[in-house]
Amino acid sequence: MKKHIYKIVLFAAVIGTFVSCEVEEFSDLNNPEVDAFENNLTRGDLQDLVGGLFYSSRVALGTYLDDCGVIGRDYYRFSGSDPRFTNDLLGGGTTMLDNNTFYITNPWAGRYRTVKNANLILGFLDGQDVSAQFSEAEVSATKGLLKTYIAHELLLNLNLTDENGIRTDVADEGNLGAFVSKTQALNDIQAILADAASDLAAGGSDFSFFFPSGFDGFDTPATFLQVTNAIAARVAIYRGDSASALSLLDNSFLELNGDLNTGLYYDFSEAGTDLINPIFISVAGSVPSNARVVHPSFLTDAEADDARVTNKTEPLPNGEITLDNLAGDTVLNLYQSNNDAIPLIRNEELILIYAEASITSNPANAVNALSIVRMAAGLPAYTGPTDAASLTTEMLKQRRYSLYGEGHRWIDVRRYGLLDTLPIDRVDTEGNPDDVWSSFPIPLTENQ
Amino acid sequence: MKQNNFRGRLSLLFLFMFPCFLFAQNVITGTVMTAEGTTMPFANVIEKGTSNGVTSDIDGKYSIEVANLPVVLEFSSLGFTTFEKSVARAGATNVVLEADAQALEEVVITGLATSIERTNSANAVASLTAEDIVGTTPPSTLDGALYGKFAGAIVNQNSGAPGGGLSVKLRGATSLQGNTQPLYIIDGVYVDNSSISAGLNAVSGAANGGSASNQDNPTNRIADINPEDIANIEILKGASAAAIYGSRAAAGVVIITTKRGKAGETKFRFSQATGWNEAINLQGTRDYTEERVLNTYGEAALADFIAARNNGTLVDYEDEIFGEKGFISNTNFSMSGGDAKSKFFAGVSHNNENGIVSNTGYEKTSLRLNLDHKPADWVKFNLSSNYIYSSSDRGFFNNDNTGTTIGIALTATRPWDQLFPNADGIYPDHPNNASNPLQTRDLVRNNETVNRFIVGGSMNLDVYKADNSSLEIILRGGLDSYAQKTRVIFPKELQFQKPANGGLNGVSVQGDTQNKNYNLSAFAVHNFTTANDINFRTQAGVTNEFFDRNTVLITASGLVASETNVDQAANTGVNQTRFIQEDSGFFAQEEVNIMDMFIATFGVRGDKSSNNGDANKLNYYPKASLATNLNEFGFWNEDGMWDQFKLRAAYGEAGNFPPSGALFTSYNAFSTDGVLGISLIGIRGDGDLKSERQKELEFGSDLEFFNGRLNFSGTYYIKTVDDLILQSALPPSSGYTSEFVNAGELQNKGIELSLSATPFSNDDFQWDFSVNWFKNKSEITRLDVEPFNIGAFGAGLGTFRIEEGKSATQIVGAYPEGLRVIGDGEPDFQMGFNNVFKYKQFDFSFLWQWKKGGDNINLTNLLTDLNGTSADFDDITLDPDGVIPNGQFRPNAPADVFVQDASYLRLREIGLYYTLPDRYLDGVIGGAVDSVKLGFSGNNLINIFDYNSYDPEVSNFGAGTIFTGVEVTPFPSSKRYMFHVAVNF
Repeated sequence: MKKHIYKIVLFAAVIGTFVSCEVEEFSDLNNPEVDAFENNLTRGDLQDLVGGLFYSSRVALGTYLDDCGVIGRDYYRFSGSDPRFTNDLLGGGTTMLDNNTFYITNPWAGRYRTVKNANLILGFLDGQDVSAQFSEAEVSATKGLLKTYIAHELLLNLNLTDENGIRTDVADEGNLGAFVSKTQALNDIQAILADAASDLAAGGSDFSFFFPSGFDGFDTPATFLQVTNAIAARVAIYRGDSASALSLLDNSFLELNGDLNTGLYYDFSEAGTDLINPIFISVAGSVPSNARVVHPSFLTDAEADDARVTNKTEPLPNGEITLDNLAGDTVLNLYQSNNDAIPLIRNEELILIYAEASITSNPANAVNALSIVRMAAGLPAYTGPTDAASLTTEMLKQRRYSLYGEGHRWIDVRRYGLLDTLPIDRVDTEGNPDDVWSSFPIPLTENQ
Repeated sequence: MKQNNFRGRLSLLFLFMFPCFLFAQNVITGTVMTAEGTTMPFANVIEKGTSNGVTSDIDGKYSIEVANLPVVLEFSSLGFTTFEKSVARAGATNVVLEADAQALEEVVITGLATSIERTNSANAVASLTAEDIVGTTPPSTLDGALYGKFAGAIVNQNSGAPGGGLSVKLRGATSLQGNTQPLYIIDGVYVDNSSISAGLNAVSGAANGGSASNQDNPTNRIADINPEDIANIEILKGASAAAIYGSRAAAGVVIITTKRGKAGETKFRFSQATGWNEAINLQGTRDYTEERVLNTYGEAALADFIAARNNGTLVDYEDEIFGEKGFISNTNFSMSGGDAKSKFFAGVSHNNENGIVSNTGYEKTSLRLNLDHKPADWVKFNLSSNYIYSSSDRGFFNNDNTGTTIGIALTATRPWDQLFPNADGIYPDHPNNASNPLQTRDLVRNNETVNRFIVGGSMNLDVYKADNSSLEIILRGGLDSYAQKTRVIFPKELQFQKPANGGLNGVSVQGDTQNKNYNLSAFAVHNFTTANDINFRTQAGVTNEFFDRNTVLITASGLVASETNVDQAANTGVNQTRFIQEDSGFFAQEEVNIMDMFIATFGVRGDKSSNNGDANKLNYYPKASLATNLNEFGFWNEDGMWDQFKLRAAYGEAGNFPPSGALFTSYNAFSTDGVLGISLIGIRGDGDLKSERQKELEFGSDLEFFNGRLNFSGTYYIKTVDDLILQSALPPSSGYTSEFVNAGELQNKGIELSLSATPFSNDDFQWDFSVNWFKNKSEITRLDVEPFNIGAFGAGLGTFRIEEGKSATQIVGAYPEGLRVIGDGEPDFQMGFNNVFKYKQFDFSFLWQWKKGGDNINLTNLLTDLNGTSADFDDITLDPDGVIPNGQFRPNAPADVFVQDASYLRLREIGLYYTLPDRYLDGVIGGAVDSVKLGFSGNNLINIFDYNSYDPEVSNFGAGTIFTGVEVTPFPSSKRYMFHVAVNF
């Protein structure tokens, strides 16, 4: 058997090569890992991380706007591929809002994703010595921007769940704060914005990163501070704190006689890694299976010659379309392409906040502000009674038409306890009418 | 082609041997060989009718002294047919023993390098022969051949689109998040079975509503393998048999052996099958009346309806789209042959199959060359190589959120809608939907092209061989390399691409995947038999596997003119996905066979993998089994009816890797108006995540009576998956929607019974039948996280729900009082019933498959109801009060109306063949033609089900999940009719 010995040796050698093989360990081959930023955060890293906020703040924004627009009876969302826009959101038959369906889970998760993106950056900035890369002012400005984002995202979620509340303390993913009431949540948001404002005030002259074009005019710590204050003014009127609202507006970008569209915008584009405008459906492309159909009451309740009606909506060339026992002959025309920006907050809203905050303290200012908005829409100045109730009604009407399709009406009528004034369009075969929901349930996976 | 000089050679041999004859009278010598040309040690050589006998030595040589000449010698050996040879003169007589065809089937794999006779196996290993796979009717793809043929496999077609897309699940639910598809090994090569998405989501938006799963339904790559090349398939259904494959084996292992050459004359085979396929069960259109049109669609539509009806231009668009008969052609040519040293098998096949929707189809060309070479007694090389080109056009189907897929568009299409192009070829916009399905069908291209090369090689070395012991060394290597191109083109003239309609002005998505897997292994096998016939077989080896896949998907929109190149576009986005894994392990096993009475096996596999949290930690997977053949104990006399009575038990463990990316918490890159940014992927990874571990215990019995004419096998198994990996929901306010955790235990218990018999057999007529029946019950036996919903579109429409103590595939719906269980995806049982009749020159066979129970979530109904187009819209069968028509009842009803029984009974396969009698062939081409076979066959020709759509066999979410059976406007499945001719020469 000697002649076989060399074979055995060969085999032993082969075995040896195999066994000595160590298996290589790989990191994530496709994506940057979170841990990678916990040390040596560079200026380039910060740009990418902050850029993530601009992205994630737009995720499911269209769903948020549809939620508010459909329940607020601004418009119907006709969708052949998802019946829940016309069924659940309008409360058709006996249908209830579900706590585990995209209309609440997606926007809710999208907003908290942005909050987490921001909180992670705050953690990176606090968890390491970044003095070699950033000045103190730059760190402060960054924190101000991040906190403004956090506050705004929390506010949008609170707008959906309203009295059901939200979590405001979510910095530690392993130890989330409890759900807080609507009142407490608004107070917390107000406090975060105040904190953001003081950070921005100490933020020097420039941010250490650049912005998309929707930030034009608000891309320095000083000018972005005006946005922070504008959002804080919105929160203040939600809290019913007119005095704070007025003082915050003083330090915002409010211009009573300025361009109504000045403001901060969400940008969209058709670039592969970007998002397209989620609300845009062209008039010609509006069909029963895919359309945003103006609620008929928006047309019938309008004053004659209100330019906002003709600017923001467009009749369908072939007339009425129907789906799920709903009908309409006019569709939304707020945007002209997939690339159009959607306002986050703009001067027209600030003027109306100014009007609202002035109704009791200074009705003349309120009338003046309402007239500015009316005249911009081609309507005569306001000449009606100036008692608080009448001015409130007028203010709500102007908000309905000025901020149409921007997600405000549902929240506004809810703030004033007027949900029951919204129209009911359908009664099913068993006599169950549609419902007007006051709030979304807290998503199932919050385990509440 | 036949050798005619045999006699000449023989006389030469005799001349050469003549001197020996003079000196060694009445001693007959020679060598016993197998048909493969290897020498056969220990073959019995007996002088017939006497007790005079010898056995061949280690080199197959024998020498027997006989008293008188001529004499009849009887040659026999286990697993070979006994051969009688009349010998007139002393001297050399060489014989070749043919393998016993039945015995060949009865070897099952037990080790990475060894197999065992079925009669001694402790596992219920299913095996299929070439006859089982393609004998009745050729399947469209390899996995399609597994339907109904053995107990324990649930095969599900996800889409009827040509080119496959099947899932195979062995013994119930194996994993919730990890791989559920078996590992495929072909001639020792680990073969990739990925389904790579073509990026249709860029247009369909199917995943935008929160269902992150791939709804593109691409082909799974096992479809590339040509079923005609396969000699046999063995299916290791669970860990008790598959533990030797360690960390990748939890979902079972399918071991495929391809055809190889045999020593002897060169054999040629040509076969051609031609036929067509057509839809199984179209739904038809709603029975429209003026009143119904008016009520559903209003005045304008009524006018259109009346006008179209009066003009006779009402169109059944379902039939227009799905009513095609798709032409099928399969051509195969193979040749095989060789001599004692070298053998070959070469085959080429070309398949061409059109779908039931025009512009869909599947084309495949496969080349195979298998070589065996044995330069010396102690060494053997073999090589298997396979090149495949395949191309499939799969159309644009399934779920979407944009009203663009053909199926969704069809739900909104009414017979009076005018969708046909005008004389200039311009398609009108759909009046009622975002896309015109005829235009989409004619202009959209969704093509997958694959160039694939699979090569495996092995070397067997007999290091040592003696009478009672031997040592063999086996080295093996394999490579599976392919490039897949996906090309998706949505031209700008499509209704939903027109900028005026809000479209992207043309979309082109190009995907390129490079995949390279290779595996290396080395084993040593030692055999030792004691004097009292106790055999010890020891094997040990090491294995190493590498997997490397890189997919680049480029999505371009805003195409320039009619360009489709991705750079000729206004916007492009690129997505790259890499997957690299390296596994390394060892394996050792000991088998003890005590006189075929007790056969015990125990072994262990140790594996490490780069896909584990700790890459260099060895995970051990043990196995042990025991089989007892009671018939070997001598209780029954040799001539009794009992041939076998075996009791067996086997235990094994196997692993299942965490899904890719589960170990990491990462960001994804995006942009906002040109500003790059990274945002969290909403899934939190865990670096310490463990592989899932499956522990399977099976026991059963195999019985055989009447010389093998009646067989029964029964198996019961308990399969437990521990460290179940779950994507557990996190409160979304944490910034994450879910995290990967080891947090549960899943148990499957099942019974598998099979019976086969030959009730009748004589020279002219033979009838064989076999029946298999199996059921599986899964249960989540432990869940460390809150119960959660998974795998569909939310509780309002019916969803799967993972809950402790409940079935893993239970379906729940939302009701005012909370969630209610309204169904289960798991069938009550499945059954296959196969019959083969042979009468003279005719072969007739058919296979029925019955799936009893199991529910689907059918959302096609919902979509047609909302559009008023359901075929049963005006029937009143669902409303308990008998008032509201179905089409109005369903959308407002709770989820149980969408959860429907998906039972079916199908005539899966039927074939009738006629083999021309030899007397017609004698004169043809000088008698060179050996046989000619003609026939007809069909697939799914009879389908019985009470399911309200095209086919209960469907899965919107594709293959990689146990949550199949969700239906959203799929590509309807089809039946096939085929005509065959095959010539052997």
